[in-house]
Amino acid sequence: MSVKLKALLKSPWVFHLSTGSCNNCDIEILDCLTPRFDIERFGMLLASSIRHADVLLVTGSGNRKSMEIVKRLYEQMPKPGLVVAIGECAMSRGMFIHSYNCPVPIDKIIPVDVYIPGCPPKPEAIIAGVVKLIEKLNKRK
Amino acid sequence: MKREEIIKGIKNKFKNDIIEVFDKSPARVYIEIKPESIVEIAQYVFKDLGARFNIASGVDLRNHMEILYHFLIEDINLLISLRVKLDKSKLEIDSLANIIEATNWIEREMWELLGITFKGHPDMRKLLLSDDWPKGVYPLRADYKEWDKKAIRDRGVK
Repeated sequence: MSVKLKALLKSPWVFHLSTGSCNNCDIEILDCLTPRFDIERFGMLLASSIRHADVLLVTGSGNRKSMEIVKRLYEQMPKPGLVVAIGECAMSRGMFIHSYNCPVPIDKIIPVDVYIPGCPPKPEAIIAGVVKLIEKLNKRK
Repeated sequence: MKREEIIKGIKNKFKNDIIEVFDKSPARVYIEIKPESIVEIAQYVFKDLGARFNIASGVDLRNHMEILYHFLIEDINLLISLRVKLDKSKLEIDSLANIIEATNWIEREMWELLGITFKGHPDMRKLLLSDDWPKGVYPLRADYKEWDKKAIRDRGVK
């Protein structure tokens, strides 16, 4: 594992991006930041700019317009970076799979490291998913 | 003004323009009008009766395209829906954006999703669809067919 990635895993800063979701997954992500779940225990902090972030949290099914934004944001993220797809829509577009405005799933646009299923996933599921990713990367060494 | 007076007033004032008045419930009345008189009637309902423009909605039906303009008179809680039926061969109607500012965006949306032309609209360009959307393809029409060859419509599992 590179030094950069090791340093990243101590305290991953996350950036939250909604690509046209129904806001339910976004609410659950914000719930993770509240004192009840408190993801700062794991060193995770919400970054206000993608240029400061190590992890990109993507929600929503991704429409034709926001796909361009997803691509651009991924290019701006400092590497090595991780991408977490949260919710059914970000995984496979859920019920919007036949929508005229959602032609391809997000993982065909950018590489996704973790998929967290659920509509919406519980905050515990989101935390578990990210912690599993960190553990897996730690073991790889 | 009371509810009955308002409906009667519209009926008397626009005798030749109204096709049908459907009194659905105490809070709702549908008035079907001729497409060419929409500006006149909308102006009367909006300016003289003091109604609030709520929203307009377009529907692609089997024989015609329909637009509903919803106006709400808040102090008596009456929703007036002006119904316009457009012929599918000639999808044109006068724009209301010059007298009611709030119709500007919804007319742009109906234009790009259903292909209804609004004559005299001050700023007709795309609102929701991406810039590379092909011309003449309207996604909310009943006969819409997939045009994008690159689109993936399965979940990758068998």
